[in-house]
Amino acid sequence: MLDDRSQPSPPGAAGRDPAQASPRHPAGAERESGINHKPSGRVHAPVRLDAEGTRETIGQVTVPDPVFSCRGVEVYYGSKRAIRDVNIDIGRKQVLALIGPSGCGKSTFLRCLNRMNDTIPGARVKGSIRLEGRDIHDRELDVVQLRARVGMVFQKPNPFPKSIYDNVAYAPRLHGLVRGRADLDDIVCTSLQRAGLWEEVKGRLSQPGTGLSGGQQQRLCIARTIAVEPEVILMDEPCSALDPIATAKVEDLIDELAESYAIVIVTHSMQQAARVSQRTAYFHMGQLIEVGDTDRIFTNPRHRLTEDYITGRFG
Amino acid sequence: MLEGHISRAFDGDLAALHIRVLEMGGLVLDQVREAARAYADWDTGAAELVIERAASVAEYDASIEREQLTLIARRQPVSRDLRAIFALAKSATQLDRAGIESRKIAQTVARQGERPARPTSADVRHLADLAMSLLRRSLEALDRIDAGTASEVIASDEELDAEYAAGMRRLISRAMEDPQHLDVAMEAAFVLKSLERIGDHARIIAEQVRSIVPDEEPPPIRSPVDQVLKTPHAP
Repeated sequence: MLDDRSQPSPPGAAGRDPAQASPRHPAGAERESGINHKPSGRVHAPVRLDAEGTRETIGQVTVPDPVFSCRGVEVYYGSKRAIRDVNIDIGRKQVLALIGPSGCGKSTFLRCLNRMNDTIPGARVKGSIRLEGRDIHDRELDVVQLRARVGMVFQKPNPFPKSIYDNVAYAPRLHGLVRGRADLDDIVCTSLQRAGLWEEVKGRLSQPGTGLSGGQQQRLCIARTIAVEPEVILMDEPCSALDPIATAKVEDLIDELAESYAIVIVTHSMQQAARVSQRTAYFHMGQLIEVGDTDRIFTNPRHRLTEDYITGRFG
Repeated sequence: MLEGHISRAFDGDLAALHIRVLEMGGLVLDQVREAARAYADWDTGAAELVIERAASVAEYDASIEREQLTLIARRQPVSRDLRAIFALAKSATQLDRAGIESRKIAQTVARQGERPARPTSADVRHLADLAMSLLRRSLEALDRIDAGTASEVIASDEELDAEYAAGMRRLISRAMEDPQHLDVAMEAAFVLKSLERIGDHARIIAEQVRSIVPDEEPPPIRSPVDQVLKTPHAP
């Protein structure tokens, strides 16, 4: 990529007819202002990529006392490398948003964190992923337990074909977290309350979970996830199938849950990432380009690729 | 700098806002030029024209504010676009204030008081030339989103401030020698102050251009692979 300073730049705005870009603004008479419209050099040079792409992630990849610590993570689907050399820590009690264009590897990386890629034929994961300091690929680690500690909420709400009560009670029963019915009732009630669903369903817990609205189903799925007291909640575009009101409720819930859990959310909505997260990581063609405080990423990103994506100049 | 969105409509909206602010800048530049000329020539007709056109300047500011709000609501801009929209709107506010200062100068003439002495007119003309140069260059910087020119304008404001101080000292000396025309001297002092403020508004516009283009930001924090690999995992 050439340094933009070497290229002549387009003339200033006063020499441009906005009607050529948008039909909504017919060109008005341009006022004679005496301004000299000489082209100027651009002052923000793009970051140069080497032949293999950048090998450095811009921003603060590490955090103090992370819950997850990932180093050199690579994922292959057969011979195709989907993500390359990802290094990032995930902090406790905060939301990390993963953004990037379609196919950039953000969902692939998300699935690494609870070994969901194990379920994909031909998928291989390399590198180190440590949860509370322990390698999640350790042979002695129970992957079922892992997926209880690192819960996941999917794009399409997927309640079990069971009652609302049993949707939430299923995992605690399975993991032997309860001694009796009273414990189970308590967990179901607490989980539904924390998911902001209790008041809406408390009178109909025996009714099927699939009978709820889309937004309610997604909150039921969240309640199901938190019923086993995870340490991390993964969310893969949790609101993309929801209407704006349901989305707002889920985002509000994410704010509350972040007080107790580490949350990693993949989203295609920049605005959602800006609203719900404290840190944002930008992926591009399988690489982690930049990571940092959400406020900074969305006001003054350091990498040109990040800025082009979030401003809609790329993707 | 502001173009290149996948959404051409967004490009168009931003370009329209940018052009509108520059149009306003052209109008204000004219106002300053005409007000200074009216004072130098003691032309009450020209002064009346400046006063009449002041309403147009205010209209520009109001419409630009509306466009800014619409853009933010519709596009939820971030990063460079967000900085640019705010910078353009703040620049419009500065231009509005510069327009107000030029109206004040014109009102001095329109009141048809006693014409100032030649040395005072010369000082006003000199300061007006400096103020107009600053304003013109700040608008050029805004037109091209050029941080280099913007930095020059910011530095040049100090020169204008120094010339203002010198002009005031000369005015005060003349007033002390000729106390019967103290009222004329006071009016001239207000005119000099207005021109100094126009320079300030030009400088603030240049600062807004600098806020769009953060080329003086510290170098980006990089986390090279080997540095990260050395960072221990959590125990």
